[in-house]
Amino acid sequence: MRTTEKSRPQVTAGIPVAKKILPSLVTGQEVVLIGIIAVLWILLGLLTPAFLTAGSILPLLVAVAPIALIGVGMTLIIITAGIDVSVGAAIMVTSVVTSQTMVATGIPLIPAVLLSVAVGALLGLVNGYLVAYGKIHAIIITFGTANLFQFIGLRFFGSSTVNGLPDTFDVFGRGEAGRTFGIPHSFAITVIVVALAWWYLRHAASGRHLFAVGGNETAARLAGIKVKPLILRTYVITGALVGLAACFLIGQGTSTLEQSVGAGRELAVIAAVVIGGTSILGGRGTVLGTLLGAILVQTVTSGVTQMGWPSQLSDFFVGVAIIAAVGTDILRERSRRKS
Amino acid sequence: MSTTTLKRNDVQQRSHGFGYKSVKMLLTQRIALLGLLIVVVLAVMMSLDAAGAMSGSYDADYLAAALISAVPLAMLGLAELMVILSGRGGIDLSVGAIVSLCCIVFGYSYGIWDLGLFPSIVITAVAGAVCGAINGFLVAYIGFPPLIATLATFYAFKSLALIISGQKPISTIQIQDFFSAAQSVEIPVIGYNLPNIPLGIFTFLIPTALLAWILLNRTTFGRRLYALGTNDVAARWAGVDTRANRMMAYVLSGLISGLVAIVIVAQFASARPDAGVSGNGLALPAITIAVLGGVAITGGIGRVSGILLATLLVVWLNAGILLAFAGNEGTQLQLLALGLLLIGASLLNNLTRKKFGVLY
Repeated sequence: MRTTEKSRPQVTAGIPVAKKILPSLVTGQEVVLIGIIAVLWILLGLLTPAFLTAGSILPLLVAVAPIALIGVGMTLIIITAGIDVSVGAAIMVTSVVTSQTMVATGIPLIPAVLLSVAVGALLGLVNGYLVAYGKIHAIIITFGTANLFQFIGLRFFGSSTVNGLPDTFDVFGRGEAGRTFGIPHSFAITVIVVALAWWYLRHAASGRHLFAVGGNETAARLAGIKVKPLILRTYVITGALVGLAACFLIGQGTSTLEQSVGAGRELAVIAAVVIGGTSILGGRGTVLGTLLGAILVQTVTSGVTQMGWPSQLSDFFVGVAIIAAVGTDILRERSRRKS
Repeated sequence: MSTTTLKRNDVQQRSHGFGYKSVKMLLTQRIALLGLLIVVVLAVMMSLDAAGAMSGSYDADYLAAALISAVPLAMLGLAELMVILSGRGGIDLSVGAIVSLCCIVFGYSYGIWDLGLFPSIVITAVAGAVCGAINGFLVAYIGFPPLIATLATFYAFKSLALIISGQKPISTIQIQDFFSAAQSVEIPVIGYNLPNIPLGIFTFLIPTALLAWILLNRTTFGRRLYALGTNDVAARWAGVDTRANRMMAYVLSGLISGLVAIVIVAQFASARPDAGVSGNGLALPAITIAVLGGVAITGGIGRVSGILLATLLVVWLNAGILLAFAGNEGTQLQLLALGLLLIGASLLNNLTRKKFGVLY
């Protein structure tokens, strides 16, 4: 606090000046999610002793990584009141381009990751350009580009799978090569990206601008924010993260890449984001919530398997989790508005 | 503001030639544009056929047979029309999952419990309506954003269908015989000169489209739906029960999805628990058809005829692509065509709004 600011409350004559400019470190939704995840983990730990062991938790975190990683980008997009339903198809394109290049030329790790990220960012650029400058609702554009990306992906696949993948991406996989000091690399990278995005959304000017655009685009524009480049950027970031996540998915899979590599992932990502408390209407959301949302979804999925229930049941619980998480958020918002 | 009025006056004062008028009509009347595109597609495909570039003949019989895939597509397009019309980001991602669940309901009631055709149809339709009512309650009464509510129920219904059926399709003898309901028939009296039309067109699509048209254009419910889709607050102040009417839109969407399930069971002669969600599912194509048919995603604008013409365009275009390109290439190019159509149509919507202000 600088000394000059002390006189401010008197100038405004009785109107209390908001001292808290930054949002709180942890939102209510995140606290609720941490609580639910803790309860689930303890319950599952009590019911199936194998659950709370490294052999069960580490694969869970590895599986969370790609969804949470794309979720970070999706959170940025949804905060600006947009959406991207093409990420599943984009995963397919980036993973097939990268794995075919690896099979053909045997390029090492770093160039392979860079290639994947570049391809993903290019796809994101297409989405972002159409959404920001075409002025069309994001869901329609990305439904359209989802079809286009699928076409491109299938073209690369030809009519079969990509076989004989090298072990370049095992550093992102489930195995021993994918860990340092017992921590999976893919999850560690995801946590770093979440931390960076958390800082960006909370402290960087353009991060705060995303909330302004999502809250009221016209007001944001009149306040001098360059809305279009900002929106374009969120889609490019998401595309780049899709590229990185595709590397994780290749590393987690077998030596064969299936055509269904990205199928349905867009909905899993959106589910993680909305469970994390990000408002689909824009203007509100956190990346920490998205990470927790992804962990909750994966906990439910592996919990169902560990309990010996049919694995199809996990989707039912994911649906229930979305209703419960968003429902409590709606009710909390309503009571906040009343008070 | 003043510049836009000036521009508009300018446009009005210019003497309108036939060319300008027809361009304006094509852009503002989605029906006219779709009609033109259908003619273009038919002309291009038939000339390709005449040039011998097709692997089969693209004639009236082929076109009529292709209509079998138009039945579920157009009906689900109508379901999305109802929901998107209701505004406030109305959308139904769960239609495919409802179809899956209702396939199983129909499979059990007709194929296993043997309740007879008519009661089974009623039970299946009611099951669909109940699924839709869950969506509608969450959206209209609790205040869930439609995208979220239907995403959640998509997961739940899809899972239920697989769990209830034990992941096995139901194809008892009754269900297999039901295949006859999907056959092509000759139209009586005038039929012998015309190609045979799939029966589903007459038994399901035309009644549904007719009822949807009557509901939207000749009942107070329809007018209220357009009103609350255009301006929710204004509709409420005008005394419309926005919650009940919005919920009704989702119930109708579920009901139509239930009927689609019966059509699909007939087509495959088997009640598959993943009928509506396998691959890309049925929701995505249905939303594409709705947008292509001129339904504004913001609500309040959209017509039954737009949906039907958009379906014809997509179905006949796809059928042509399949003949022009063999095997995998054909199915892949269908994706490209659908994506380009969707993006092109929405860019066109935008251009129209900018140039003429309105879209019908």
